[in-house]
Amino acid sequence: MIPLLRQRLRRDWLQLSLWIIGAVLLAYAGYVGVTQSYSTVADRQEVLAAVAANPVILMFRGLPSGTSVGAFLAFEDLPWLAMLAALMSTFLAVRHTRGDEESGRSELVAATPASRTLPLLATIVHGLAANVVLGLLVAASVIGAGMDAAGSLLLGAAAAATGVAFLGIGLVAAQLMRTSRGANALTVWLLVATFVIRGMGNLAGTPSDDLSRIDSAWPVWLSPFGWAEQIRPFDENSPWPLVLGLAFGVVLAIAAVGLQSARDLGASFVAERGGRASASAALASPHALVWRLAWGSLLGWVIGGVLTGFLATTLGGIAGQVAGQNPAVAQILEKIARAGDLDEAMITVFFTMLGVLAACAGVQTIVRARQEEAHGTAESVLSAAVGRVRWLADYAIVATIGVALVVAAAMVAAYAGLAAGGAPSDLFRVVTVTGLGQFVAASVFTALTALVFVLAPRATLGAGWALVGVAAVLGMFGPLMGMPEWLTDLSPIAVTPVVSHGDVDLRGLWWLVVAVVVAGAGALALMRRRELASDG
Amino acid sequence: MDTVIRTSGLTKHYGRVHALDGLDLSVTAGQVHGFLGPNGAGKTTTIRILLGLARKTAGVAEVLGRDPWKDATDLHRRIAYVPGDVSVWPNLSGGEAIDLLSRLRGASTKSSEYRSSRERLEAAFQFDPRKKGRAYSKGNRQKVALISAFAVPADLYILDEPTSGLDPLMEVVFRQEIARVKDAGATVLLSSHILSEVELLCDRVSIIRAGRIAESGTLPELRHLTRTEVSFEAADAGAVAGIAEAHDATFGEGRARFTVDSDAMASVLPVLAQRQVTGLRIEPPSLEELFLRHYGDESAS
Repeated sequence: MIPLLRQRLRRDWLQLSLWIIGAVLLAYAGYVGVTQSYSTVADRQEVLAAVAANPVILMFRGLPSGTSVGAFLAFEDLPWLAMLAALMSTFLAVRHTRGDEESGRSELVAATPASRTLPLLATIVHGLAANVVLGLLVAASVIGAGMDAAGSLLLGAAAAATGVAFLGIGLVAAQLMRTSRGANALTVWLLVATFVIRGMGNLAGTPSDDLSRIDSAWPVWLSPFGWAEQIRPFDENSPWPLVLGLAFGVVLAIAAVGLQSARDLGASFVAERGGRASASAALASPHALVWRLAWGSLLGWVIGGVLTGFLATTLGGIAGQVAGQNPAVAQILEKIARAGDLDEAMITVFFTMLGVLAACAGVQTIVRARQEEAHGTAESVLSAAVGRVRWLADYAIVATIGVALVVAAAMVAAYAGLAAGGAPSDLFRVVTVTGLGQFVAASVFTALTALVFVLAPRATLGAGWALVGVAAVLGMFGPLMGMPEWLTDLSPIAVTPVVSHGDVDLRGLWWLVVAVVVAGAGALALMRRRELASDG
Repeated sequence: MDTVIRTSGLTKHYGRVHALDGLDLSVTAGQVHGFLGPNGAGKTTTIRILLGLARKTAGVAEVLGRDPWKDATDLHRRIAYVPGDVSVWPNLSGGEAIDLLSRLRGASTKSSEYRSSRERLEAAFQFDPRKKGRAYSKGNRQKVALISAFAVPADLYILDEPTSGLDPLMEVVFRQEIARVKDAGATVLLSSHILSEVELLCDRVSIIRAGRIAESGTLPELRHLTRTEVSFEAADAGAVAGIAEAHDATFGEGRARFTVDSDAMASVLPVLAQRQVTGLRIEPPSLEELFLRHYGDESAS
């Protein structure tokens, strides 16, 4: 067991460090955010009251448990801390069980005198240890910021207990499903579902008279996230729901050991579905193949677009209330949106995020071309009667359509939100202008990634996502962090046309169009001379 | 018309690495041409250039009389290719991948001709087309490429170590398919390092070494270049003494052994007859020895 754990530590330390550092930073940044943006009890009271009044936000925030700094911190941060711990744990569980089994590594271990269940037991120990470290460091960062120890420890423990519960879920999913991809999909769906159930439970709860806390309804007890929130760190500090998460995780882990002992190596309890014996008539061109490969992930981005669009126009009212009473918030919104009244600013801010989502959809599709090339399937396609330029163009076309779909979905949802709220008609124009502008901005990323793919194939994945990441930070957070305008204006999503007090300001639109045309045409032209660059 | 593949002085440099260093290869129509060489000798690079997937650095490369880089798309309609390491799409079933690849080569998968040949090949290769790509073993991935290559008629088949991962029964099926397409008049370039396979199938062989053709010819021609091994029963090592043509004489287990240049064999026989040797065994060189002769020093170093 010890050598196995040591080897895993070597393999995992970077990945686990990133998850854990992410959680620690989130906790600490949450504390800084609360003390700076909502420094008085009255500020916090306003936000909590506004949330209780417009409960859509409750889905994305925690359980209101009073107006103290600590309770407010838990309200803002705990669901996301728990989410990080849960994702870390379930990916860890699947990676070291089903993942190793798929790659044949566990066959090597199983052939040694070590017992068949040893890798599974090592994974349990490994996962528990990772969660203990995460919980302790989160607590330490909040204690370091000056919060009281009991509440801080319970905040960390709440996140860790959720992690343990999902460790168990991941372990059982890995036993049930044939592939690690299938197991990860199952656990992520469960994670989203339990997160939503917890939100519904809070929505259906009873607010107190001053709207500063909510007594949740029964559905929260069906969700590990709900258990974590019922601890109410810095408020009730009630430790016993921790037992639920820990016990749940341990029971599932034991069940996983039982399932493992009852099956053959490589077998699974849920059989994989068989595929079609022959291809449908539609799967007859390289273009159709790209759709077939990309539609699943594009659908995910489109759903993200719908949510963003809907929130852009429905949250306007509530943000208006908060901002109306809290100049700091109003200032932040105006900084990001540069100008305009609050409703216009709200749409602009959310559509900046939409630009990031749409850029992700485009970049991911182009990155897929690189993955096909490195994996070797592009060789099969290109050695059939498919030209190089045509092949890349198909990815670019699907990427562009994907970007358009994400933006269109958001715009339709935003129109629906406006129509439902009976908003003035000029806001419809704001949605149209900012939406189309973000379509162009997102296409810049598609075109640039395609250019990198042609010129430096091995850098495609890193460069594509780095472009989106840097642009997102500059465009969304640059104004908040006080970066100079010339720097934030380097981000395509930050220079799209906006509507300010009814006037359309095109800003960098033509630069964006030039960038798309030059990079896109350059990529396709250079592709004529490019060789296949296999081996990753 | 006669020459299907012609390269002359073909070079390919990857930075400072010279993958091909003046390769002269010629394959005539209707031939099954063996392309032999160890890993890293440049087989796959040559094939990539012939398919227009890689660009030559210098020299001439012609496939079916055309430039494989510029006319890639048109040429590929007439070429069937099986890569050495077949990858399939993890979420497409094997049947879907076969149909897709055949359609990309311009075949109509609705024609009864295609469907019957696909059915025949799936039965022969004992292939289950319903599994998802990620569930296939190496051998089964190889079958996806082989079935889609043989299901649609082609003028030229380029096969890069096509039987790696296949079991011996499937190798027999593969050999039958090669015989079938050869009868139909197609040309085959078969890259391999399985010597028995090449000996069984190929009309001509080119041996590639360090980016150049080291030897090219029919098997009898190549055999001619190497030594034949002779052994007979003897009492001691002195039994070979006096045979001028004998090389590498050894003695063991009651037999004397030596080798003879294949073209000098005729002059050795009278000497052996004179000495009335018993248990005489004469073994012509196998392709394996040919191969070792060309690569022996390399593997030793």
